[in-house]
Amino acid sequence: MKFPDVFDVIVVGGGHAGTEAALASARTGCKTLLLTHNIETLGQMSCNPSIGGIGKGHLVKEVDALGGAMATATDIGGIQFRTLNSSKGFAVRATRAQADRMLYKQAIRTLLENQPNLWLFQQAVDDLLVEQERVTGVVTQLGLRFKAKSVVLTAGTFLSGLIHVGQANYQAGRAGDPPSISLAHRLRELQLPVGRLKTGTPPRIDGRTIDYSVLQEQAGDTPIPVFSFMGNAAQHPRQLPCWITETSERTHDIIRGGLDRSPLFTGVIEGVGPRYCPSIEDKITRFADKTSHQIFLEPEGLTTHEVYPNGISTSLPFDVQLELVRSIKGMENAHILRPGYAIEYDYFNPCGLKSSLETKSIAGLFFAGQINGTTGYEEAAAQGLLAGLNASLQVREMDAWCPRRDEAYLGVLVDDLITQGVSEPYRMFTSRAEYRLQLREDNADLRLTETGRKLGIVDDARWQAFEKKREAIAAEEERLRRTWVNPRMLPDEDAQRVLGKSIEREYSLYELLRRPAVNYASLMTLPGAGVAADDEKVSEQVEIQAKYQGYIDRQHEEIKSAEHHEALRLPGNLDYREVRGLSIEAQQKLNQHKPETMGQAARISGITPAAISLLQVHLKRGFRDAQPAK
Amino acid sequence: MSRQNADAIAAIATAQGRGGVGVVRISGAGINSIAMAILGKLPVPRHATYGDFLDTNGEVIDQGIALYFAAPHSYTGEDVLELQGHGGSAVLHLLLQRCLSLGVRLAEPGEFTRRAYLNDKMDLAQAESVADLIEASTTEAARSAMRSLQGDFSSAINGLVDDLIRLRMLVEAMLDFPEEDIDVADSSLRDNLLKKIQIRLEQTLVTAKQGSLLREGAHIALVGRPNVGKSSLLNRLAGEEVALVSDVPGTTRDVIRQAIQIRGVPLHIMDTAGLRVSQDEVENMGMARTHQTVRRADLILLLLDATRGCSAEDTEIISSFPSEIPLLRVFNKVDLLPDQAPGAEGIFISAKSGAGIDELREAMLKLIGWQNQESGTFIARERHLLALNLAHDHLEQAGMLLNQPELFAEELRLTQQALNSIIGKFTADDLLGEIFSRFCIGK
Repeated sequence: MKFPDVFDVIVVGGGHAGTEAALASARTGCKTLLLTHNIETLGQMSCNPSIGGIGKGHLVKEVDALGGAMATATDIGGIQFRTLNSSKGFAVRATRAQADRMLYKQAIRTLLENQPNLWLFQQAVDDLLVEQERVTGVVTQLGLRFKAKSVVLTAGTFLSGLIHVGQANYQAGRAGDPPSISLAHRLRELQLPVGRLKTGTPPRIDGRTIDYSVLQEQAGDTPIPVFSFMGNAAQHPRQLPCWITETSERTHDIIRGGLDRSPLFTGVIEGVGPRYCPSIEDKITRFADKTSHQIFLEPEGLTTHEVYPNGISTSLPFDVQLELVRSIKGMENAHILRPGYAIEYDYFNPCGLKSSLETKSIAGLFFAGQINGTTGYEEAAAQGLLAGLNASLQVREMDAWCPRRDEAYLGVLVDDLITQGVSEPYRMFTSRAEYRLQLREDNADLRLTETGRKLGIVDDARWQAFEKKREAIAAEEERLRRTWVNPRMLPDEDAQRVLGKSIEREYSLYELLRRPAVNYASLMTLPGAGVAADDEKVSEQVEIQAKYQGYIDRQHEEIKSAEHHEALRLPGNLDYREVRGLSIEAQQKLNQHKPETMGQAARISGITPAAISLLQVHLKRGFRDAQPAK
Repeated sequence: MSRQNADAIAAIATAQGRGGVGVVRISGAGINSIAMAILGKLPVPRHATYGDFLDTNGEVIDQGIALYFAAPHSYTGEDVLELQGHGGSAVLHLLLQRCLSLGVRLAEPGEFTRRAYLNDKMDLAQAESVADLIEASTTEAARSAMRSLQGDFSSAINGLVDDLIRLRMLVEAMLDFPEEDIDVADSSLRDNLLKKIQIRLEQTLVTAKQGSLLREGAHIALVGRPNVGKSSLLNRLAGEEVALVSDVPGTTRDVIRQAIQIRGVPLHIMDTAGLRVSQDEVENMGMARTHQTVRRADLILLLLDATRGCSAEDTEIISSFPSEIPLLRVFNKVDLLPDQAPGAEGIFISAKSGAGIDELREAMLKLIGWQNQESGTFIARERHLLALNLAHDHLEQAGMLLNQPELFAEELRLTQQALNSIIGKFTADDLLGEIFSRFCIGK
């Protein structure tokens, strides 16, 4: 049957990408349908029970700055919060939280159910409706046809999912869920470029069988960090510690003894796993001289004894899993609640996507999350928000929003995906961002909230709070620039105490704050420094901006000099075989990628500056419609 | 697709080597301020304007004609400034360096022409030939880059980059994986690597400068009192008659340039008007020019008369030279001495007989910094030297930021970016690959 209502946007999948996509689309006012095979698993954390971390925390803050749900749900569900790299500079500091799975899931469900313009429906999706290379809706398992102007597909690891435990394997989605086989077949028929990846999880442990008395405790930070711009520490539930243990030589012997039955080493698994999240059997093989590996025991929640031993992801047979777990300090009598497993799944080569996350081959069809070859909740959520937003912008006949690499980690993420493709599950790291010093957690709101407001995904409450903070920062910065410190009026002991030396001429407070050895709090104790900003977030931001200013100015120069080139649009119908002088390799790469801009073209591996010059010549000759992007 | 006034680029527009006139061409945004800095004014468009070309300190680099073409009525369609000075490559390079110091970028091969057609200054047929031209120039560039990237240069740069990657890997791993044991910041390993890279980079720079010397040569000012035999010496060194030689003092009133080679190193010898106190107006102008020439030289050859030794007047002349430029005293006319030369410091020659000339050649090479290590030398291009200098500056900055790892990392990134322009791309993903192959990352 054809469902009577027509939607603006349909989101397929209720994981982290799907929920952010559906919420973002609905926030813009588009009539949005979220289709999931199981409403009970909306917002499920299917792997480790933590949100954030270096690079990932940055993404969560960006999603939050654009009105997304992940940071808010983490504030409600977080049972341990830490600021990583707190001893290093602000650009590399990142928030991470352990989350109670139930509380997190509940928070997401509540947000979804209370979102105006959003409709939930439980049915697996089997097929896409495509007319003349444009998506028009989806068909569910029961044969229900839902029509929409745009569709966001967030099928995660469900596409042709195959789970391995030892030499046993079976078709599945996430643990316990069914896979989406027919949808995968259908997508293969559409001839989108498909690849296969692998990921894994560790066996889960019953916390009552762990001897914590011999383990090292890792507590959260005090004061407790807060994730969302709109959040506060009072939202946090009771806090729990994590625990640290490690593998022993005996653990490694047990693993080596089981390698002949490992699907990873016997060639059963074809998919490529992430280098930064290897299974324990991979670790002891590749780093054979390391006698011990750290394991973090992470509580899964306040109302469960289940523990996630982070660091021993494995697809070894169950008997080996049991023996290896019990060889670890504190787990001698451990009971495994769920076996660890590896899962192989289909992904679509993201080179087939535009920077809006719309597929190049089917108009109106957007992909987000693990389906694009990424890993991690945060990467998924960020793409989901972007895809949901751009789907709604398309419905509203507005230009897509494609954040630049110097604007957001979200921009780095998408640009990396579409220009480089993936060869292993893609995870965010700060070293991927050449403009790391400006893409910080602390300024995610300043970078993105205004854009989010213009695009219709930031609500009034957040906008007002943001404007208030932004104005306060500007005012305080202005005050520091206008307040001068005169050497004759400055007692020498104050100069020594705050500045480390006396000053030889008049300086503004702002100039003094830029010095590496000077901090805001002590600067405010100088006679005549006036009244400090009362909001710590404000003074912190003023201080960070002052410290990084020289570097950021230089990066702005770098960005500005490449701006024209970066935004120059390339026609989608350009056949690169016609470009004179291009090497065969460059022709093939460019034809395969079909980059949208000259900047993207330049970042494709193997494309040289000479190739870019030739492209410019060709454009001038044949394609006079080429226009700079907005 | 109008792209008037993209970022400013500059290059020497005339052929490398000697020539009566040399042109530095600048195109792009900000010509006004560049003209103000170098000329003190923006010339009237399309009018030849004679004036001084000034360096950062307001000193005269050269004098010549400036031509300003306002966009779109120029070769490239952008604002263009042409500075036409004297043809000597030292002067032109000083002028080019001056432009670069004002934030202008060194033009890529074919970039002026590319801008010209991008701004509709050429028709389709011309654009076709430009494509061929760029293709040709990039092939040539690639070939010459290959040449210079072979052998010792290649191994020097690659060794440098390998160490730099190891250092960056340590720093980036520490920043991105704070919980993976590696956070035990191994500062001694880091410091040793940094030190090693700094030393290597400095050595490479020295070698590259040798290469540059081999390619660009050095400038030598030949000065002395009238009739001491400067022109004769020049002829002796050059092996041909280039300057007027006569017994009348003050014959040479202009600076005469002559390129010679000593063991492959090109030397641009600038014969000058003799230095003495003179009432002759024309000769006085010549002497003023001599002083300008001397200020730009890599080496001053002071020619003295062996039969008269170093007089008080000579000492006065010496004191008028900039002290930072090496000075070589050469006593000519030893053939007129009754016996062996007096015990003064310097080289003793006879331009007439050729005695002592070999010794002089060796001394000149030594003083301009030639280290006679041909096997380790490569042909460095201006671009390579610029990149190495930039890398050097960022590395130096990095060394001062050890306690701020994210800024330390930024300077290392910029160091590598500079080196990348010599050896090609290295991406963040390559760096992560290094991290994962070295460290067991697994949380």
